[in-house]
Amino acid sequence: MKLDIAEALAMDERGVLTLSQLVEVSDLSEADLRALVDYGALTPVDPTASSWTFTASWIVVARTAGRLRRDFELDAHGLSVVLQYAQRVEALEAELRAMRARLG
Amino acid sequence: MKYKDYYATLGVEKSATPDDIKKAYRKLARKYHPDVSKEKDAEEKFKAMAEAYETLKDPDKRAAYDQLGSHAPNQDFRPPPDWERHFAQGQTSFDDVDLADLFAGLGGAGSAGGGFRRRADPNVPIPGRDYEAAVRLTLEQAFSGTEVQMDLSIPEYDENGVAHRVPRLVTVRIPKGVIDGQKLRVPGKGGAGMRGGRVGDLYLDIAVSPHRLFRADGRDLYVDLPLAPWEAVLGASIELPTPAGAVNLKVPAGTRAGQQLRLTGRGLARSDGTAGNLYAIVQIAVPTVLDDAQRALFRQLAETSTFNPRAHFAPEAAHET
Repeated sequence: MKLDIAEALAMDERGVLTLSQLVEVSDLSEADLRALVDYGALTPVDPTASSWTFTASWIVVARTAGRLRRDFELDAHGLSVVLQYAQRVEALEAELRAMRARLG
Repeated sequence: MKYKDYYATLGVEKSATPDDIKKAYRKLARKYHPDVSKEKDAEEKFKAMAEAYETLKDPDKRAAYDQLGSHAPNQDFRPPPDWERHFAQGQTSFDDVDLADLFAGLGGAGSAGGGFRRRADPNVPIPGRDYEAAVRLTLEQAFSGTEVQMDLSIPEYDENGVAHRVPRLVTVRIPKGVIDGQKLRVPGKGGAGMRGGRVGDLYLDIAVSPHRLFRADGRDLYVDLPLAPWEAVLGASIELPTPAGAVNLKVPAGTRAGQQLRLTGRGLARSDGTAGNLYAIVQIAVPTVLDDAQRALFRQLAETSTFNPRAHFAPEAAHET
């Protein structure tokens, strides 16, 4: 049995990925990711740049998108709508958590 | 190799049409998909049904699966003698092979030559698979950072392209300041790639157990602070627990119930070096057992005080505001 020690990294604004790296981690095609950017579901660091880069915080969104695309056989437009709903649900859950934390 | 009954997992007959299989999967996916469902064990259930659908939706994989015959779920079995040649170029053992890994290594439907086939191009690099694992931490571990040891079973490809489950003990350092629901990435700790394919990553889903004192909202923490009525009125210096140890808190005179006393930077750490705050929420606790002398003191206070906590009930108070 192998023994490894590894660092777990937060996926936040400090890390940056290229479009092809986001393809690798999300299991989405480059065309899908470009379409998600077009639909506003993903935002590159500089949308006007010739080569897009993304902060590591988008890994979670892109992986969720990859999972939803595979599991529900959605197209990019359907994905962007579902992601938007998922983000709304997350925001509401965060608000609920905040209220529970304050009220006890 | 252990048998899995993919038809039973999806709740369909062996004779089900592709359309029946798709409908059954979609119905179950809506109910159990981890991004949609809050049902208990949804993720485990969904993994099993996704694995079943992945095989049964593809005519070639389904034909290969059907050739295995019927066995009891989880029963160890040996595939038919000539079955292995469809997956491996050379001699290989299937003892530590998971059915899901085997079928994932097959190409899709419609491959040339009929029957099922290995990946289309034997020279194309195969990336190692990414894995997700749940990690439960105490609030103290989340606050200070910790190391967790994970016993994983990761598929690695042999020279014939067949994925074998390899046990791997990984110690992962969790940075301080992680929060409930956060995902962390451990690069290069997923499955090994093949033919130069990248090594997969391990993703950790962090869950922080509820704490008996502290409640978290992001990186801010909240703790109830019960005060005796005289402490709230006169002010007090009290010892307040924090995840980093007790601190002295000066409670100002005239503190009201519900007021939040902020301890800046005493919450969970952020990656930029700052930290959330700890809020002590004041509650006024009332003694329920009094001796005669204490009761007399409260009576004396009641008789001499002009304080009216319900002054705002009066209609004229509403006009004033």
